[in-house]
Amino acid sequence: MAYSKIKLPASASIFILFGFILLSLQLMSSSTQESSELSQMHSWLLVINTLGSITLLALVIVNTYSLVRELNKKAAGSRLTTRMVSLFVLLALAPAAIVFYFSVQFLHQGIDSWFNVEIDRAMDDALELSQSSLTQRMNWHIKQTRQIATQLENKSDTLIALEIGSLWAESGATEIAAFSSQGRVIASSSVNPSDILPHLPDEQIWLQLKQNKEYFAFAPGDSDGMMVRIILPIDRDQNQFLQVLYPVPVRMTDLADSIEFAFIRYQEMTFLRNSLKTSFSLILLLVLLLSLLAAIWVAFISIRNIVAPVKELVKGTKAVAEGDYKQQLPVMSQDDLGFLVESFNQMTKRIARSSDETRAAGLEVENQRAYLETILSNLTAGVISFDASFHIRTANQAAYRILHIPVSHFVSQTLPHLASQHNELAELLEAIQHLLEKADDIWEQRIVFLGPNGRQELLCRGTPLFLQNGNRMGAVVVFDDVTDLIQAQKNAAWGEVARRLAHEIKNPLTPIQLSAERLQHKLAKELEDSSAEFLQRSTRTIVQQVEAMKRMVDDFAEYARPSKKQVERINLIDLIHEMQSLYQPSGITFNSAFASDRVIIEADPVSIRQVLHNLLKNAQEATAAQCQVSIKINKVIKNNAEYAELGIYDNGSGLHTDQIETIFEPYVTTKTKGTGLGLAIVKKIVEEHGGVIWVDTSYNAGAGFVIQLPVFEFGNSQ
Amino acid sequence: MPSLASTFKSYLLICLLLWPTLSVAESFVAQIRHAKLIANDHNFSVQAKIDYELSPTAKEALHKGVPLTWIVRLEIRQIGSFWDSTIYKQALPYQLQFHALLNQYEVLTPNNESEMFLTLNAAFRFMSTPNFTKPIPADLLQTGQHYKLAVKCQFDRESLPVPLRPFSYLDAQWFLSSNWYLWPIQK
Repeated sequence: MAYSKIKLPASASIFILFGFILLSLQLMSSSTQESSELSQMHSWLLVINTLGSITLLALVIVNTYSLVRELNKKAAGSRLTTRMVSLFVLLALAPAAIVFYFSVQFLHQGIDSWFNVEIDRAMDDALELSQSSLTQRMNWHIKQTRQIATQLENKSDTLIALEIGSLWAESGATEIAAFSSQGRVIASSSVNPSDILPHLPDEQIWLQLKQNKEYFAFAPGDSDGMMVRIILPIDRDQNQFLQVLYPVPVRMTDLADSIEFAFIRYQEMTFLRNSLKTSFSLILLLVLLLSLLAAIWVAFISIRNIVAPVKELVKGTKAVAEGDYKQQLPVMSQDDLGFLVESFNQMTKRIARSSDETRAAGLEVENQRAYLETILSNLTAGVISFDASFHIRTANQAAYRILHIPVSHFVSQTLPHLASQHNELAELLEAIQHLLEKADDIWEQRIVFLGPNGRQELLCRGTPLFLQNGNRMGAVVVFDDVTDLIQAQKNAAWGEVARRLAHEIKNPLTPIQLSAERLQHKLAKELEDSSAEFLQRSTRTIVQQVEAMKRMVDDFAEYARPSKKQVERINLIDLIHEMQSLYQPSGITFNSAFASDRVIIEADPVSIRQVLHNLLKNAQEATAAQCQVSIKINKVIKNNAEYAELGIYDNGSGLHTDQIETIFEPYVTTKTKGTGLGLAIVKKIVEEHGGVIWVDTSYNAGAGFVIQLPVFEFGNSQ
Repeated sequence: MPSLASTFKSYLLICLLLWPTLSVAESFVAQIRHAKLIANDHNFSVQAKIDYELSPTAKEALHKGVPLTWIVRLEIRQIGSFWDSTIYKQALPYQLQFHALLNQYEVLTPNNESEMFLTLNAAFRFMSTPNFTKPIPADLLQTGQHYKLAVKCQFDRESLPVPLRPFSYLDAQWFLSSNWYLWPIQK
């Protein structure tokens, strides 16, 4: 919420507001004076000031409510505003309340001091004295009037008219008149000759006269003076009345008026004593309320204006804490807070610049890291990095490809822990762990182990990593699967051997065979029968052995020569069924379990048939009694490619552990007869078709071979 | 020196006086017994009879020298479809004051004439028949129209001394005005 800038010491509107309040209070104060013309407006001024107080109170309540809501929402700056407003109210209220209390005390004391018992008594005595004086005069005039009435008693109207003039002159009265009970004037005489008619009693006097039969009272005189009016009956029948008006001396009138005025004023003040106190207290309270509420309201506005930059600063700081460094706050004033806001803006600018630079550097580092990661993940060699305590920190995709363990399993684990989870890798991992712990320099070692896909040979290179202070910070191990490379080298070597054998051995065999046959042909006739028979037996043996040697050399040449495949799409299941029907008559019992009846592979059917033939033949030869062969086909996915996994298990004598590593090498056999090339040829064919073959070491009931071949189409499960 | 209790009493009084709810236990309002319009040759005159009453507080104030003023208001209203319109109005102020020295009551009439009375009843009796001296023109009332004569005796609080005024609006002791007395006129 933005507030308009306040121009201290106060804005014009605040001056005007306080001006109005002061004017209103002054008018109200003036109106308390009876003599003031404003006294007629006293009630209105009181109402206006009360309404003003209520309005200001409403404003203060609204502001307080708004502040409490902001406080509940924990809005920026609300706590500071509350603290400042509370402090201001406390500081303003305390002295104002004290001043108000003592003002009321002094006011009440002042009013009370106007009155005391002595003045009360003096006033009463003065009035009583005046009344006594007037009463005495009245009594004397009554007595005088009675004498006149007695003189006129029982006289005719004419006589009364004749005598009344002299009686008036003797009495010293202003006017003397005789009239009948019906109000008819009989005679009159006055000090003023111009008064033709006497001052006859009015209706009210007549009323009292009829009730009391006589009347005497002070009455207002002609010229602001006072007179005594006495009316008495002339005769006993009360048919005639005598009215005499006596003047009251001016001095006496003035004194009496003065005393009466003072007495009345004093009595009035006594009566208004409590009203005065309450009225003045009320006015004081209104003055206090108006001033205080106006001050609190202005305090709300002023404090909010003062706190506004702080509020913006709090918001800005919060935004910076949340990572928004581009915060720029408006500079509302040129004071200390303005300087603070400017400093904040400069700070956020610098932070934003530094943040941009850091982000750019981070981006660069990230790019570099991604680049390195890309390189590492695309390396054919597996790379694993370790921390100082030999926990795996990173591992690339090739490590997974070689070791067949998901990369995520590597991170934060030690090699022994990994080995406990993957028994097939235990040998390798323990060897690497041993080397890591032992080596202080770069090391290289070829490690052979029996992995899940058979025998594997890894070439491992390890590099311990050191900090600048010489402490070990970890190590990096790079390893490559050199199984195929070693195998290729071996195959090449065997090919070379085969060529030399063919050249060095096969060539002399023909002359040997021919020579033996010639010896037989030439000497058979010349020798006697027994010698001839021995010669024939010997030459036949030579020829047979030469033939055997020729066949051996041919087989070996065949193994060493690159094959000429006729690749086509064939259903492996059909091929297996064909081989089963071929071998079933020879006494082999088959147990088949195929995941699908349609497993299409792209292969040379003759070569695959030979693979199956060699394996089944081996099984048959390895089994002494009833030969049972289990054939299983499943689909497996490796490196995002589908493979058909063909398992062939027999119930023969099985393989020794030391034979497993070399069983696929040429001239390795467990049989008394045979060239030892059967499994070597099988492996060669399988690998030529992009597949792998290994001995299933988990199978103990005989020999088990697992072949994985790339599949073109694997039908739905049965 | 006033005690703390009396100060507190004053504050309490202020609060009570400012409290909007008023307790009207006893009524001291003036009563208009009757009021009627009398047709003369060329004009109208009004006759009315008013009974005045004083509350104890008002009576005390009078005897302490505070003058009391009533204004007898006379209005002739033409009855309209939605609201009435005042076509004639007259106000007669009567001021009653006590003179302690003479022990008499003075009534100051609307003509500024002073009448002295020995008793309060005599003064009220004088005031009970207001003298509407100013005649009402006969042509003011149109034939066929409906009119109302409205008379009210209003106690003038604003003529009280200043300290009494605010409280006279809140204290039932000062509710001395009569209600409007309405008398239908048909011409």
